[in-house]
Amino acid sequence: MGEIRIHPAINVLRYAILIILAAIFLIPVLFIAFTALKSKGDLMTSPFYALPNPFHWENFSKAWNQGNMGLYMKNTLIICLVKVPLGILIEALAAYSLTRMVFKWNNLLFAFFLVGMMIPMQATLVPLNMFLNKTHLVSTYPGIFLIYIGFGIPFGILILRGFFRTIPKEIDESAVIDGCGEMGKFLRIILPLSMPAVATLVIFDFMATWNEFLLAQIFITKDTMRTITTGLMAFKGEHSADYTLMNAGVLISILPSLIVYLLFQKYFVSGLAGSVKG
Amino acid sequence: MTTKTIKPWLFLMPALIIYLTVIFIPALYTMYLSLFSWNGVSSSKVFVGLNNYSDLFMHDTVFAKALKNNLVWMIGSLTLMVGSGLALALLLNKKLKGRIIFRGVFYFPYVLSGIVVATGWAWLYNPTQGFVNKLLTMLGLEHWTQAWLADPKTALYAVFIAAMWQGIGQPMVLFLAGLQTIPQDPYEAALIDGAKSHQSFWYITLPLLRETFLIVIATTLIGSMKVYDIIYGMTGGGPAESTQVLSTWMVSQTFKFANIGTGSAIAAVLVLICMIVIIPYVYYTTKKSHV
Repeated sequence: MGEIRIHPAINVLRYAILIILAAIFLIPVLFIAFTALKSKGDLMTSPFYALPNPFHWENFSKAWNQGNMGLYMKNTLIICLVKVPLGILIEALAAYSLTRMVFKWNNLLFAFFLVGMMIPMQATLVPLNMFLNKTHLVSTYPGIFLIYIGFGIPFGILILRGFFRTIPKEIDESAVIDGCGEMGKFLRIILPLSMPAVATLVIFDFMATWNEFLLAQIFITKDTMRTITTGLMAFKGEHSADYTLMNAGVLISILPSLIVYLLFQKYFVSGLAGSVKG
Repeated sequence: MTTKTIKPWLFLMPALIIYLTVIFIPALYTMYLSLFSWNGVSSSKVFVGLNNYSDLFMHDTVFAKALKNNLVWMIGSLTLMVGSGLALALLLNKKLKGRIIFRGVFYFPYVLSGIVVATGWAWLYNPTQGFVNKLLTMLGLEHWTQAWLADPKTALYAVFIAAMWQGIGQPMVLFLAGLQTIPQDPYEAALIDGAKSHQSFWYITLPLLRETFLIVIATTLIGSMKVYDIIYGMTGGGPAESTQVLSTWMVSQTFKFANIGTGSAIAAVLVLICMIVIIPYVYYTTKKSHV
């Protein structure tokens, strides 16, 4: 018995469809890469499908310098490096309380946090702006950290609570016998056991923060604090006619996401699958 | 209060305070602001009751357009995006050489930012040098070429195709995960009973994917109400406001025209629609977790 056999002809057809579709998915990226590697003159004269000849690698260094890409990447990285670990710690503490502590409000509070997932950011922008102005936190890192962490809380709690619930309660009980307090249980047992979920969340959170645009657009008014997305928009505005540089800029800003994705591909898939079971 | 009753709150405190400060209270305050006429600067807000709402629904033609565009986007996502995601998942759910590579190719645009996708695709749609028109010309379809993003008739659909390219991987991966939880036995039993493969699909696969469908549909609906980055990045709501959706129109009203009351009312409508979609889902998820 075992596997249901598939007719070889159907398998060939399946491959043909997949290869055509994959090509359709990759062609936009190739076209962007070709553009980024051509000189302005070649772009006008050579056919669109022609390989760049010669390769104009200097477009990348020009885009990097003229677009302040290094600065914007540094700014975005600072936000990610604080927001992601701090946010996850805060979410994990809450998820621990929601799953491990005897407490009659557990489910109600969980539902209350989930409500946050259906509130679009747009519905908070004006009051948040007033709040940041009043507290002089506009265009400051503490203000940005606060807001980014806030919007990560509902999703983070959803994922971590889902995982914490799968850890058997007997493990906690034995820890209590060994004299662990709640904090000890959280730090020494639940958190280490939850590393798969935490890893997934780190990666998702990193990508979401790296790619975030609306909050950065509204709350970061200082040019030198721009993130990679708002920086790319500004670059596009200034170089709207220079397609070679613009596409080089696009590729540069893709690179970190692509590296993270290739390194941690399995977490993207297993992480999503985990949230399905939730 | 004993320490035993206080402790759970201590663990919850940081998350709860930040959540209240950043999301919950601001959202409530936005509802309140939607009842006023205010430019955001002057110290006096004028109470106008529900006038902002009635103005939106009776007089604001862009709002009507935005609402319609959200609806078009939603229907397009539910049919084309979810449908293709499911089709790709079914194609990839067999033992297949290079399966992981194909999955990676279809999913990777999802990890890019909306702004990057918008910038790249705007170049593909460039009227004179973009890929789309050059390809059409090469294929002898020159009369099909047009300024895709500059024509109000095509702009929304052109942006939607870019969004599909970016987003299709998400339903695909969710469906793949769902398909992997389905055991082989029912298919073997059906095969022995002489079921055709399309019958297995309708009577075994689809019903067993019920949970996955719930998640995919809920996230797709919310996603299509929240869509912002890719539209802002490609067209900014234009040409002639033809690609405005509620989220972009809200930001324009608030931060471009300083109509805080109107912007807040649009945000409130957005929240309301999202609630209608997701409350049944949250109810279902939390209820299930009691078991």
